[in-house]
This record gives sequence, C-alpha cells and structure tokens, in this order.
Amino acid sequence: MNLTVILRKKMGQLFSLDTWLPTELPEYATGFMYTLGSLTASSFVMLLLSGIVMAANGPQWWTISQIGFFVRGVHFWSVQAFFFFMVMHLLRVFFSGAWRGGRQRTWLLGTLALLIAVPTAFTGYLMRGDFYSQWNAVQAKDGLNALGLAWFNPLNAGQMYGLHVIVFPFVLGYIIAVHIAMVRIKGVVPPYPTHEELEEQGVLTTTDKKEGYHVSSGR
Amino acid sequence: MYHPDVDVTHRYKYASADFVKHLLSTTVIVAILTMALSAIFHEPVRPAIKINQYANQHPLEFVRVAMGDLDGKGEIADYGPPYNHGTGMVQDFVQKWIGILHPVYPREDFVLKPLQYASVINPKIKSYLNRFDKASPVQQKIWEANYNRALSHARYEGGAIILPSGSYGPVAGMMQGLLQVGQSGLMTGALDRSPADYQFDNQNSLLFLQGKPLHNAASKLELKGDQWGIIHEEDAPYPGPWWMTIVTAIYQIPFIAHASAADAMALGSGMILFLFLMFAPWIPILNRLPRYLGVHRLIWREYYKKYHAKDFTM
Ligand code: HEM
Repeated sequence: MNLTVILRKKMGQLFSLDTWLPTELPEYATGFMYTLGSLTASSFVMLLLSGIVMAANGPQWWTISQIGFFVRGVHFWSVQAFFFFMVMHLLRVFFSGAWRGGRQRTWLLGTLALLIAVPTAFTGYLMRGDFYSQWNAVQAKDGLNALGLAWFNPLNAGQMYGLHVIVFPFVLGYIIAVHIAMVRIKGVVPPYPTHEELEEQGVLTTTDKKEGYHVSSGR
Repeated sequence: MYHPDVDVTHRYKYASADFVKHLLSTTVIVAILTMALSAIFHEPVRPAIKINQYANQHPLEFVRVAMGDLDGKGEIADYGPPYNHGTGMVQDFVQKWIGILHPVYPREDFVLKPLQYASVINPKIKSYLNRFDKASPVQQKIWEANYNRALSHARYEGGAIILPSGSYGPVAGMMQGLLQVGQSGLMTGALDRSPADYQFDNQNSLLFLQGKPLHNAASKLELKGDQWGIIHEEDAPYPGPWWMTIVTAIYQIPFIAHASAADAMALGSGMILFLFLMFAPWIPILNRLPRYLGVHRLIWREYYKKYHAKDFTM
C-alpha cells in the first residue's frame, strides 16, 4: 500500500480541471432549480468576504463605525440567504431523489453541511453583543449542559469567537468543497425514467397506465 | 430494494456550458441582494442589559438576585454541573457524569468577592464582612432568612434599602454595599475576573443576570422557550433563526415542555428527526418517496416534454 499513490489518485480527481471547470453539462441540468446549490455557495462566499472584513477590524468595530454597521448587515442578510437557498436546494435534491446511482454520500455531506451551519450561525448570534446574544447564551446553556456538551460554553465569548470565525467556517467550507467535488465527479443525477423507458428496459411488463412512471416496490 | 440501473435514465445529451460565468453571476446576484437588504433594512440591534442599569432601575430585584446567590437558594447557586454541586438544574446522568467544568460558587464569586474588592474603597463594607465571616454558619443562615423575609416589605428611597427593624446582622449592610457596587458599573468587572490577565470570558456576569433580569426582558419580547422564542428575532419584523423551527416546535409539545429534562428531550428528538433526513438514502420507504410524490416531473419538465411528450402528463 503506497499512501502517496492513493493520495495522488484521489487528489488528481478532486482537483482536476474537469471537476471544477466543466465546459459542458447534461442538458436536463439547467434552469433555476439547478442554480439553488450555486446560490447557496455564493451566499457562503459573501459570508466569508464580509466576515473577513469584520474580523480584520475587531469584534466591536460595527458599534463605532457606519461602514462596520453596513458590513455587519451584509453578513446578517447573507446568513438568511444562505439558509434560504440551502433549504430550497435541499427540497430540490430531495424531490429529485438525488441520492440515486451511488450518490448517497453527496446527500450525506449536504446534510452534514446543514448540521454544521446551525452552530456556525448560533455562535454568530452570540457575537452581536446585544440583548439577543445575552439571551441566546443563557438559554442555550441548559440544553448544552444537559446533553453533556458543557465543554461548549456559550457564555465564554472568547471560545465562541474562535469557533465562529475559524473552526466552524473551516469545517463548513471543507464539507462544501468536497460536496461540490462529489457532485461533479458523479455527475448530477439523471431524471427518473419514464414509463416508456422502463418498459424498454424490461422492468415493467404491464402496460397498466395507472402506474405512471413508478416501478412497483420490490422490483 | 434499490435499483441504480432502473432508477436512472440513460438517454440524455450534454450541452455546452460556462461554469465560471454561472458561478460569477450567482455571486453577483447574492452580493447585490445582501448589500441592498443591509442598506435598506440594516440589522436589528437591541442594547444589552447591563448590571448597573438593572441595579438602578430595579434595586430591590437586584438585591433579591444577590440574596439567592448568598443563601444558596438562587438558580445558579443550586444549578449543578458544569458549575457546582447543586441539584436544581440537573436534567440527566450525562450532565452529572461530565462534572464541574466551569466552577461557579455564587456565594463567593457573586457576593463575597465583589464586596471584598469594594471594601478596599469603602471600609464600612470591610467591617460588615468581618462580622459576617466571624459568625457561625447557623447565625449566618438566621440573618439571611430574616433579611429575605423582610425584603418583601422593603422600600427603596434615596439610594437606600429601607427595611422594617429586625435582626439582620451585617447582611443588610452587605446588601446595601453590593447594590452600590452594582449601580456604580463596577460589578461586571468584579464578576468577570479571569485568572489570566486578559479577559475574554463573560460567563459570570451573564450567570448573574440569567434569572429574573434577562427573563423579564425576554418575555416582553416573546423570546422565551414556550413562546417559540428560539426562532423569534428580537425585533419582530426581522427574520430570526427560522431554520430551528422544528426544534422549537418540539419545545411546544406539552409533554416535553413540562418535563424536567425538557432541553435534553427536545434537542434529542430533534437530532433523531435529523438522522432520518441524513440517512434518507438508506431508509427503505423514504428513499423511494420522491418518485411517488412526483415533484420531479416539475423539476425536469422541459426534459420530459422534449423527449417524452407522449408520456408526459402533469
Ligand atoms: C452548504 C450548503 C450547500 C451547498 C453550497 C451545496 C452546493 C451544491 C451544488 C453547487 C450542487 C450542484 C447541483 C445544484 O446546484 O443543484 C449540489 C448538489 C447536490 N447537493 Fe448540495 N449544497 C449544499 C447543501 C446540501 C444539502 C443540505 C443537501 C441535502 C441534504 C445537499 C444535497 C445535494 C445533492 C444530493 C446534490 C446532487 C444533486 C444532483 O445530483 O442532481 N446539498 N450541492
């Protein structure tokens, strides 16, 4: 077992031009429904950009500066956009059954992104330094303590700041990158076959039109 | 059973695309959208509750909070792990098992220590503290109980807490002193002293405020747990963390809301629901559900129209 060889193979695919810069896509994979994932990714980019500007100026910049207040607003609305597009995207891929054809791990990584996005947003709410932060911190502590997660101390602003500006975004960014790479490597999931196609493939023997595009379960 | 071969169609063509242009345009759209929203609506801000402000506006409430910390009957004094050995807020065995990670002993940390700092400036406080320290624990308890009982008849006039006469020992003087520390604006600093030189942690000042002070302010804004509080932004028309809607809904189930382990149960069942979503591709009926729901006919409408017009019925 040569670890370098294994890594070369994996990385070669993960970082290839074909993965990241495709020049053609399946013709069914166009239109607004297929833009939702990109809109989610773009919202994440806006979060990173506005977040970097705020981090560079220190945690209380927005209280003393008009520009700071504006950038903080961009960050706030980007969070709303991020979750909005992510949930719309989730619905799109769910209704497409987009885990078919060996794409389960792409779905799993997507849900993981949603799962990590929740504490990322939560630690952000704790950084506002207003009543909403105070209230969220003291309310969340009981649940966290009860779940055995007391190590995560929402009352410790220093710990929350570090988690919010580096640890969670890093993990989330990594998950998103691999998620998108996997979508590209597997190709977006093709449409459900129609009745006609299923008959051709010999899956459906009956011409019972009521069955529509469905394959009876068990087959 | 899962059938990769029959579940995907094989007849489709590739069309040329500009992926970079696509990503740039979605980013420009989101950038314009969020900048416009920020410029027009800004972001909601509701000023934090400060201890000095609370001590000035609600002096008797402040003293009541401090007495709970002193006599060990307050919420944090009796909380339990991860703060101390209390039992009041222990919801399950995991919490006990994790143990005391962030030690907080309100009698010392919230009352006696701040008074000690203040005694350097005000020698009167020093004499109260000396008298309190020298008394037996039983005597201390009696003073505290007497003072607590008298508090419901107390008035606040010209900066002083006026009590009916009684045997409070030094406790009355100590509480008057602590109220002054609170009103001065020095209390937050006295509470949040870290063993290191730099201060990054506001745990104790938040724990001091966490009971009545924050709860009263929150219930006016409908932010409490049983008011769907998790998903309310503090300024009504603004969107809050609505992605927590399902967890918040679980909190409203009476059986869970009234349980002593409410948080553990609500968050635990939210997590179980989420696991269903996560593992949907492997869960038998769930993984075939979208096919039967038929929304995909809308998603791939153009495709089905083009190639399967005959078969395509909405
Ligand atoms: C951080 C948030 C996310 C980002 C940035 C993201 C991004 C993307 C992008 C750009 C695509 C390409 C196709 C398209 O845009 O429709 C995609 C596909 C996909 N995503 Fe996500 N996604 C995210 C979250 C999720 C979530 C929460 C799920 C599901 C639980 C999910 C499941 C999928 C699946 C299964 C595909 C493959 C779709 C197909 O083959 O047609 N993603 N994602």
